[in-house]
Amino acid sequence: MRSRVVITGAGVVSSLGDSSVSLQSSLCSGRSAIKPVELFSTAGLGCPLGGEIPLFDAQKYLGRRNLRPLDRTSRLVSSAAQLALEDSGWSDVMGSSEEVGLVLGTMFCSLHTISEFDRRAVEAGPAYASPMDFSNTVINAAAGQTAIIHNLRGINSTISTGTTSGLQAIAYATDIIRSGRAKAILAGGADELCFESFYGFDRAGLLCRSDHSAGDFPIPFDKRRNGFALGEGAALLMLEEASFAHKRGARILAEIAGHGCSYDCFNGDDDATAIAAIGLAIQRALNDAFTLPHEIDCLSASANGSCVGDRHEAHGVFAGLNGQTHKLPITAIKSMLGETLGASGPLQVVAMLESMRDGVLPGIQCLQEVDDDFALDLAGPDNKEIDVQAGLINSVGIDGHCCSLVLASCDVN
Amino acid sequence: MKQRRIVVTGIGVVTPIGTGREHFWTNLLNGRSGIGPVQSFDTSAYSVHRGAEIQDFRPENYLSNLDAAHLGRASQFAIAAARSALADANMEIASLDLKRAGVSMGTTSGEPREVERFDDLFINKQLNRVGPEFLKLYPSHVIAAHIARELQFAGVNMMIPTACAAGNYAIAHAFDVLRAGRADLMLAGGSDSFSRITYTGFAQLGAIAPETCQPFDRYRKGMIPGEGAGVLVLEPLTSAVRRGARVYAEIGGYGLSCDAHHMTAAHPNGDGAVRAMTQALEESGTRPEEVSYISAHGTGTATNDRLETLSVKRLFKDAAYRIPMSSIKSMLGHTMGAASAIEAAVCALAVFHDRIPPTINLKEPDPDCDLDYVPNYAREHAVEVAMNNAYAFGGNNASLIIRKCESSN
Repeated sequence: MRSRVVITGAGVVSSLGDSSVSLQSSLCSGRSAIKPVELFSTAGLGCPLGGEIPLFDAQKYLGRRNLRPLDRTSRLVSSAAQLALEDSGWSDVMGSSEEVGLVLGTMFCSLHTISEFDRRAVEAGPAYASPMDFSNTVINAAAGQTAIIHNLRGINSTISTGTTSGLQAIAYATDIIRSGRAKAILAGGADELCFESFYGFDRAGLLCRSDHSAGDFPIPFDKRRNGFALGEGAALLMLEEASFAHKRGARILAEIAGHGCSYDCFNGDDDATAIAAIGLAIQRALNDAFTLPHEIDCLSASANGSCVGDRHEAHGVFAGLNGQTHKLPITAIKSMLGETLGASGPLQVVAMLESMRDGVLPGIQCLQEVDDDFALDLAGPDNKEIDVQAGLINSVGIDGHCCSLVLASCDVN
Repeated sequence: MKQRRIVVTGIGVVTPIGTGREHFWTNLLNGRSGIGPVQSFDTSAYSVHRGAEIQDFRPENYLSNLDAAHLGRASQFAIAAARSALADANMEIASLDLKRAGVSMGTTSGEPREVERFDDLFINKQLNRVGPEFLKLYPSHVIAAHIARELQFAGVNMMIPTACAAGNYAIAHAFDVLRAGRADLMLAGGSDSFSRITYTGFAQLGAIAPETCQPFDRYRKGMIPGEGAGVLVLEPLTSAVRRGARVYAEIGGYGLSCDAHHMTAAHPNGDGAVRAMTQALEESGTRPEEVSYISAHGTGTATNDRLETLSVKRLFKDAAYRIPMSSIKSMLGHTMGAASAIEAAVCALAVFHDRIPPTINLKEPDPDCDLDYVPNYAREHAVEVAMNNAYAFGGNNASLIIRKCESSN
């Protein structure tokens, strides 16, 4: 029999709070993090809005440790790791012989660091480029820096599959534990808000426009949606092999029951293949979790307000659940957090854990007019009281990646 | 439950010493070097000027569905290697269930030339010339995605950017995906393109050799940045047997670890490297003395080669002196995220042909590097089990076991 994988803690650094509880409370009070960006100038860009972490200071989480070598992304990840280690009760025993791994999903790690390193070399000459900055230009830099800060000597991997990176990282870590290669892995994702990636998304025409009309915020699934807002954050979950977690007396939050993925070779250009790919990932996750469509109690959607992506997801969910979506409660937390790229899937998992605990599913902020042909029960901004035994998490990329994961309440304890 | 056995049935490479399995293997055994003056950008402001670039690469020869003008260089290499690997495996795409055909790739930098173009426009105050293509061409995941789009593979699509060990990570992941029954066929490997960013960084670390790459030589002066791609066709042994495929080798298992010590320097005792090798041996049920060839990370820097030798001796003890260990980076330079994928291909070929490629430019033995590095000339040698070692920035260590595929039971 394969090993079971459970979640024993979470660490979150987000624009809506730095704990699972504060995140859930913000989401359920309908607070939005989407505001004019202050980290850099958005002059001349189509969208001035983003979901920034206000006054982020890693020292608050990491004490007096030397953080000089860490860029913003690495600081976000190291801080989330600290919180996840504390939350799962690992921080006291770190440094002992047990090896904890780290699997980080990130779309860019730090495009800002890479670009700045290069620009300095070009403008001032290669002799002025900093070797320390160079070590942060690799896409596994944040995972490497975090391993050093927290002495994480187990499997260390970085996953990059666009906006699905974080959920894929959790799926990857789940399989590593299932195969018996590790007992405990911090898994999740992160991305920072920076000018360079923001500029890329803006030029690609994917961000919500701001003309001070009703649709100038991301409104997932709404007729008036016109793009998403970029956000930032880091979220890590402590995943452990169930009997191992039980033996050390860990508090068990939920079980990763299964996951599945697929890829749309047409990058969303063809409706039929895009919808089929999303449906296939869901079906694979359900199969892996030995779960039937009607046993899914709620969905945390990937929808972020993008015109095409949300429509594909709405139809893909219908296909993946064999049409059993009529009374399925759905939330889309990117309406309030923005699209946090690598952090997005793990943030959805954290919010789902809270919904399992307190029985409240956050509403979809600003949602008023659902597209006519969405066969989903999209209720709008009001929270829902629910009892979640099995929750489905969706992560759908902007260019073809699909990943789904089933979270189950746990009776291991 | 009996584990599925996973085998290598196709090999595709794009390297500074040749594209395509046969051409590459011949040049490798003949000790050909792909190192020369850097041509892709002006190095006059640098103190070093040599690299291992791929000349005369024609991406259009490998593209049926995508347009080379809309692909970064690393994606072009990756597709060329993937197409070559499928052809080498005699695999008809039409015969595949495309929903169960996947891709797992590694890289160090993704498509760094796209950032360099962005930066040049930024500096020249012409950012308005950046269009939607930047987001489509740059993010590292596009390498695996472009392979899938070219081949219409709709299954697992994974990108693992664990720097210079990424190829091994990607192959290890594909091995797990196939074992877990999540796919029928996986293309797995790594790709990186020569880049100003990478070259600048290694130059500033003082790691680039002025002339050539001399792994394990007493007077070695550093690594030489390179570029390329390597892709393996991996499938379950049962499907290989069913379709009568030529089986190069079997993937025995792997080990991954993290130094958690320093971003760019290895652990002084080779601690993480030893743990990765140990796990790979245990998982594949191999005793240390059964290893018949080690493909070294062997970058040619003073520290890497000394510590790598030390960690092999720590694990293999006396047997270390009997196991040939060569570095093909002496010929290809360091192809970054592609390196361990190309080296995995070399391990599979060494196992298949019972030949071991040399470490060239090895003239003067180093007292700290006293193992058998197969100096300068290829060797005939029965290779039952090969170990492929790769180490990366971030303290990421990956060891892979590739062995002869004993009959199909």
